[in-house]
Amino acid sequence: MTGVHQLVPTISPRDAVGNHTLALREVIRELGFDSEIFSMFRHPELMTDTHYVDRLPPDADVVIYQLSIGSPVAERWAQHSGLKIANYHNITPISLVGKWDGLLAAEVQLGRDQMARYAERCDHAICDSDFNKSELDELGYTSTETIPVLFDVTDAIPDPSALAKLERNRRGTQVLFVGRVAPNKAHHDLVAAVRTLRELHDDAHLHFVGTDGPPGYRKVVETIVTHAGMRDHVTFHGSVSQEELVAHYLSADVFCCLSDHEGFCVPVIEAMHHGLPVVAFDCTAVGETVGDGGLLLKDKNPLTVACALHRIGSDSGLAQRLRVAGHERAKFFDRTTTRERFSQYFSSLLRSL
Amino acid sequence: MSDSESDANYFKEVVAEIEAEAQRRSSSGEYPRALLRSLDEEFRRWIPDASLENGVEDTIRSIEAAAYVDPAVPTSSKSPLGRCVKWAVRRLTYFYHRHVTQQITALGIHITRPLRLLDASLKSVNRRLSALEDRLDVDAAARSELLVGISISSSFDEFSEVLGQHFNHVSGRVLVGDLPNAQLLKSLRNEGVDAYGVASSDTPIQETVDVRHEHLFDHLGDLANQSLGGFILCGIPDYGSVNEQLRALRLLLLRSKPGASVAVIVLHPETWRKRLSPVATDLLHGRPMHTETWSYLLSREGASNIRVAESSDSSCCLITASLL
Repeated sequence: MTGVHQLVPTISPRDAVGNHTLALREVIRELGFDSEIFSMFRHPELMTDTHYVDRLPPDADVVIYQLSIGSPVAERWAQHSGLKIANYHNITPISLVGKWDGLLAAEVQLGRDQMARYAERCDHAICDSDFNKSELDELGYTSTETIPVLFDVTDAIPDPSALAKLERNRRGTQVLFVGRVAPNKAHHDLVAAVRTLRELHDDAHLHFVGTDGPPGYRKVVETIVTHAGMRDHVTFHGSVSQEELVAHYLSADVFCCLSDHEGFCVPVIEAMHHGLPVVAFDCTAVGETVGDGGLLLKDKNPLTVACALHRIGSDSGLAQRLRVAGHERAKFFDRTTTRERFSQYFSSLLRSL
Repeated sequence: MSDSESDANYFKEVVAEIEAEAQRRSSSGEYPRALLRSLDEEFRRWIPDASLENGVEDTIRSIEAAAYVDPAVPTSSKSPLGRCVKWAVRRLTYFYHRHVTQQITALGIHITRPLRLLDASLKSVNRRLSALEDRLDVDAAARSELLVGISISSSFDEFSEVLGQHFNHVSGRVLVGDLPNAQLLKSLRNEGVDAYGVASSDTPIQETVDVRHEHLFDHLGDLANQSLGGFILCGIPDYGSVNEQLRALRLLLLRSKPGASVAVIVLHPETWRKRLSPVATDLLHGRPMHTETWSYLLSREGASNIRVAESSDSSCCLITASLL
């Protein structure tokens, strides 16, 4: 049987790239190919379901590399004799993380170096967004195609206690952002925007959901929150369960993303799916992910963002139109549709094998 | 028109209204400018000082943490039998694993020790270099005191047309800094150049152009390499020390894409001498460099098509070039 295997530096079940890799394996298996996942660091829950990178068969026909960080695994992929496909999920530029996390900086630098080095060795590349595609095209990758990441929008039942707590403490416009607490996600800009909103218009509360990223950044954002006199108006919820996450999407008034760099931005789609109006800073891949489903701002001056948040909070007609348009937009990234696109891509590409 | 198109148009109109409202509030002073500036300053104060400081230290700390190898192999398994077998193997081989991991940990310590020495040495060199730079120059307060009243903004207008043509077909953003007023930026934008300004002056430029109020070096420190389509260096060539002038040029060249268009506007050294008091002439180490020097510096960096133009009153000069 033809072997179409995947290589990934780290595989974990609750991680966007990990979920995508596992879902892609099912797509490839359904097409009748033998498909396994090989990784250097495997989550204990996936030990029996995946293989250590050394076990990659040297005679595999196709090797897909999930590219999102620098890793020695990339070298194994580049040296392999099979047809080589890269699935690019973007690498955060070193300028955004270098100051905060030396080790991560080394990894992203290695990732960018490897990405440039392997342009000639890669036969085909799949990118989550046109923004990612343009980066590979610029490096000279040939045969690049945009297909969104495979993910399941959570439809878990909202946690009633979390929902009740959020409703109980509700005062003014509830602004939500979901994502790792990392400098490229610009949490500090959100604090400034909501502080301006409170200054100019009305009461508001900012909710951050997501794990801590590079060491020190969360502390800096907390310092700014204190400096802005916002300690009672900003909550860091950390990592939450799927049920709690849905409760956040349902109880907030607006989802606001001011990230400086995103390769795709899954939480925007999740917010739209749950009928939450989205306002976002139009940069990197955010614009194409939001599309016609939300308000896209050309600059993220705190005053402009505050005016946008206030407008959504006070104009029920606009909020309703954003909810409907966002829900429609989220359907475009529906897992079944994306699976079909991957299925068509691979069946056409691998027909000759 | 489909629902999606109608929504898209409506959302664009709403964004335009939001931007207009923000502009109106900003112009009418309904804007917590002081508060936001203090938040920005607070954020900048806490940003780690690039990889040379915490970055190297964090990296070494991470290597040290990773160098500790735990000899207790995990025994979790989906089946109880598997767990028992793994546990038994771990007990039987523990002496061996402990022996191997101790040696790996020792190796890690021996690797990180010289790295720590290098890090300490690097920090010491940086401290000494900063002290040396400070001694070489008149301090910032004295400098601004001595430079009160010196301005070259009046001559910018003459160069607008030449600059507009020079930057007309540039791909990417053009940085103009250190900006004394918005006039030059406005005329460039009128010519269709995607230009933005960086102004370190304490007086904010109110005009409706894209100006970042921060120190040029801070701004350049945050930019990625090869991110600019071009630059116009002004201000610093007139009042900066030689170190500052060279540092500004070096950083701008690093941040510019290959093929970028560049320009430098500089006071004529003779004009500078006439405008300054004898005290300032004696105490200031920095002074405008001759156009020949700028041309030499640009050609040394591989620039081509270097052209020099002089203002009608010969008070200042414009040097334009293209990078390879």
